Amino acid sequence: MAKKTMTLNLTDAEMRVLDTLSEQKQMSKTLLLRQALRLYQRVEERLEAGGKLFIEDESTKEKSEIMML
Amino acid sequence: MSKEENVEVSEVYLFDNPENAFVEAELWDAITEKNLADWEADWIPHLFKLLKSLKQKGVVRKLWPQSRHWHWSDKVKDIEGKLSNQCFSIVCDSSTQAMLITDLARRSQLDVQKHSHLVYVDFIEVAPWNRKELIGHSPKYSGAGSILIRAAIELSKQEGFRGRLGLHSLPQANDFYENKVGMTDLGLDKNYQNLRYFEMTPEQADEFVMKGEDS
Repeated sequence: MAKKTMTLNLTDAEMRVLDTLSEQKQMSKTLLLRQALRLYQRVEERLEAGGKLFIEDESTKEKSEIMML
Repeated sequence: MSKEENVEVSEVYLFDNPENAFVEAELWDAITEKNLADWEADWIPHLFKLLKSLKQKGVVRKLWPQSRHWHWSDKVKDIEGKLSNQCFSIVCDSSTQAMLITDLARRSQLDVQKHSHLVYVDFIEVAPWNRKELIGHSPKYSGAGSILIRAAIELSKQEGFRGRLGLHSLPQANDFYENKVGMTDLGLDKNYQNLRYFEMTPEQADEFVMKGEDS
C-alpha cells in the first residue's frame, strides 16, 4: 500500500519515550507510531460508542478506569 | 467487476486438484466489492447446495460447517476505515477462493511473548468448493488457507511483530492450526465462545513459512 512521508516535531522528552518504547518493543519508531495510531483510533471508536476503558489487575481482578480526554 | 485501485497484488500458487498441477493465483491485500460479489453470488449458493446434501445424508447440524453463518459483507462493513484491520483475499480463475480479516490491536497471551503485539486472525474462510471436509472429496484448489496464514505472518513481520499470530479456532479447524500450521494450543477460552485459542511464536512462524507450498 502506498505510503506518505511526514516530518514529526517532538520534544527531547517525547523523543526519549519514543526511543525507549521502540527499544522495548523492538520496533522501529515509524512502526511504533503507526501502531499507536491504530490503538488510538480503536479506543476513540469504543469511547464514542459509549464504552469505557479499564485496566484490570491480573491478580486482584481490580479494575481502574482510564480517563480519556 | 474489476478490482479496485490501491489493491496490492502478489502472485501465489494454488494446487488445482482435478488438473493435478499448480496454477497461478493472486493474493490481494484487501477484500473488495468483487470479492464480496463472489461470496454472495458463488459461495452462498454453493454452500446452501452442500448443506442440503448434508441434510439429505442425515448429517447432524453440529457437523455442518461452523462458519456457515459468517456474513462477509457485514464483517467488511464493520471494519471500514479502521486502521487496525487488514484484509486479504485470494483470486484464481476470476473467482475469490479465500478471504481473511486480521486485527493488529491485540496482544499475546503466551508466556514467552506475553503482552507483545501480534496479528490476530479474526476471520479466515476458503470457498466451499475448496473444503474437502465439506464436499467429501478432493477440493478444486488446495493451499488457500495456508497462503492466507503466510500472508498474516508476513504482515506481522512487516509491522514489527516478528511473525507472531493469534486466533480462536472453530472446532473443525483445531487440527489444522495445531498440526498443520504448528501453533501452540492455549486451551479453551471461556471469554470467547469457549473456542480454542492458538498462538504462533516467531520461531513457529519461520518453521511454517519454511515448510513451503506443501503445507
